[in-house]
Amino acid sequence: MRSPIKSRQERAAARGPADTVPIHLYGLRRGTVTVLTLISGAFAVFILAPVLWLVINATKTQANVYGTPGFWFARPFHLFQNLSALGRNVSGAGIYLQWLGNTLVYAGSAAVGATVLSAMAGYGFARFRFRGANGLFYLVMSTLLVPITSVALPLFLVYAKVGLVNSVWGMILPSMVSPVGIYLMRTYIDASVPRDLIDAARMDGASETRIFLRIVLPLTVPGLVTVLLLTVVAVWNNYFLPLIIFSRNGLYPLTVGLSSLSHAAETGSKAELVPVLIAGGLVTILPLILLFLFLEKYFRGGALQGSTTG
Amino acid sequence: MNQTTTYRESAPGRPVSRPASPPPGRPRRGNRREWPGAVFITPHMLALGLFMLVPTVYAVYDSLQTTQLIGGTHYSGLANYSTVLHSPEFWDGVRRVLVFTAIQVPLTIAIAFFFAAVFDAGIVKYSRFFRTVFFMPFAVPGVVAAVMWSFLLLPDFGPYAKLMQDIGLGHVDFFSSRLIVPTIVVIVIWEWTGYNVTILYTSLKSIPQHVTEAAVMDGARLGTIILRLKLPMVRPTITMLVFLNTVGALQLFTEPSILAAFQPQAVSYGFTPSLYVYNTSVGSGDYNLGAAAAVVLALIIGAISLAAFAVRRRSGEFR
Repeated sequence: MRSPIKSRQERAAARGPADTVPIHLYGLRRGTVTVLTLISGAFAVFILAPVLWLVINATKTQANVYGTPGFWFARPFHLFQNLSALGRNVSGAGIYLQWLGNTLVYAGSAAVGATVLSAMAGYGFARFRFRGANGLFYLVMSTLLVPITSVALPLFLVYAKVGLVNSVWGMILPSMVSPVGIYLMRTYIDASVPRDLIDAARMDGASETRIFLRIVLPLTVPGLVTVLLLTVVAVWNNYFLPLIIFSRNGLYPLTVGLSSLSHAAETGSKAELVPVLIAGGLVTILPLILLFLFLEKYFRGGALQGSTTG
Repeated sequence: MNQTTTYRESAPGRPVSRPASPPPGRPRRGNRREWPGAVFITPHMLALGLFMLVPTVYAVYDSLQTTQLIGGTHYSGLANYSTVLHSPEFWDGVRRVLVFTAIQVPLTIAIAFFFAAVFDAGIVKYSRFFRTVFFMPFAVPGVVAAVMWSFLLLPDFGPYAKLMQDIGLGHVDFFSSRLIVPTIVVIVIWEWTGYNVTILYTSLKSIPQHVTEAAVMDGARLGTIILRLKLPMVRPTITMLVFLNTVGALQLFTEPSILAAFQPQAVSYGFTPSLYVYNTSVGSGDYNLGAAAAVVLALIIGAISLAAFAVRRRSGEFR
């Protein structure tokens, strides 16, 4: 693993294009830049096309979704009807807006919880050498390799015994366990909270709690934001766990709700469910894409730290 | 981990008067200053124990029982395991995810490395825009991605099937038994390539600039610099990505389970081991058998991880 503390050169190199080797030195053949830019452009089209399709088809009627060219608009303009259907129980499978609310609650509370637990544990691992610290840290890291599918079913089996099936806590509490969060916070605290500062505070008689709250947390805000965002995305996108532990559709998050809407749209005889499903998909991804565009540096901050795991 | 520790031990500016710290891994007992660390990690370890370790142990226990409509639950030894291991459906799924993993993981990482390397070398215009666009599917849940692709790839009506007809490839059914695995590979590449690009790009950026400069001065071609110089330097990152992508690929569930809503004929009961686990337990109500299948799946993934780990360690790559 590379040390999180980078040399000045490395930091300069990480800063951006201004510091890269001038490209004329590579002696490239003419046209190379154009060709590579076109290849990247083609891949960007591949990435953007489905999202564009989603935006366009959220404005159509069901007949037009199937009957008109997928990448162009068609009359009648049905976007507002499709969006308003999200507030009603159109499929008999539940109400989309309720799923949106549930997702906000699950993602929000799990993210706050995961951030608090990760900050505490990250600090514990980064700045203390208590007995068993190394072994426990490896235990935490090894859970990264545990298949989610083989934990979700066991969780359900335990929930069935203790009455946590169809309980919001059954969704929120396990989502607070974040090995990536702990890894990021440990690395971040190692790099940005000087030991001497902690020692000085101790000399002045500050309690451990006070040191954590008043010194460690304020110094690690960017790391905390990264963990918060990564957990929001992870819970927002989680499908398998809620699918297994919830059987009441009033508790579904968006992913499970959309999945049940898909089944209703395809098998049910009720008309006009496909455009509602598409509009629902659009409303599901918009908040995360906006969050990501505005806070991109924090997401990349997470990826940056992740790159040192090897 | 070692280098981090080394850094800490030799951190400049530490008071000389303080007694030398004990070596890592052998903490001093009863040290007054160290116990709060244990308190700080307790909430997380408690959650980890309650929501991962306890359920895992309980699942093993449950997989050794059999529940009957008449007669209740009783211990049945390895009977459930025998059922899983003799189920052609289960092995069919295992074979399919192995093939899927063998195609998807190298392909995703190769494409991601290509883009990360050319962006890093600064030989693509608008590379900042491209990096942002490529990373965007990270914010799209697998469920939504699978819904979008189900419609885009619809036989006859979908835009991509029409495109195939227009360029003269005739009638293409992306959900036929021959094409379903490649189709899911495309969907997963759409979802995860950008994430891999971002991590590789960051890793490539941390290679000191003078290393590249020296190679350029020696007259090395760009292709040589990327493949012979930079690729070996980011190998630890690639290894980590191989691990993460592989564990993800072996658990394949979301995409086929959504495709099953639109193309029921394309996705069977045991299409992947995770689907088998879901369909036997939640679908058919045989939770004991589902638990046994979940344990077998975890063991397969664990064995593959361990094997990769051992190879990596023998080749001296493990830190």
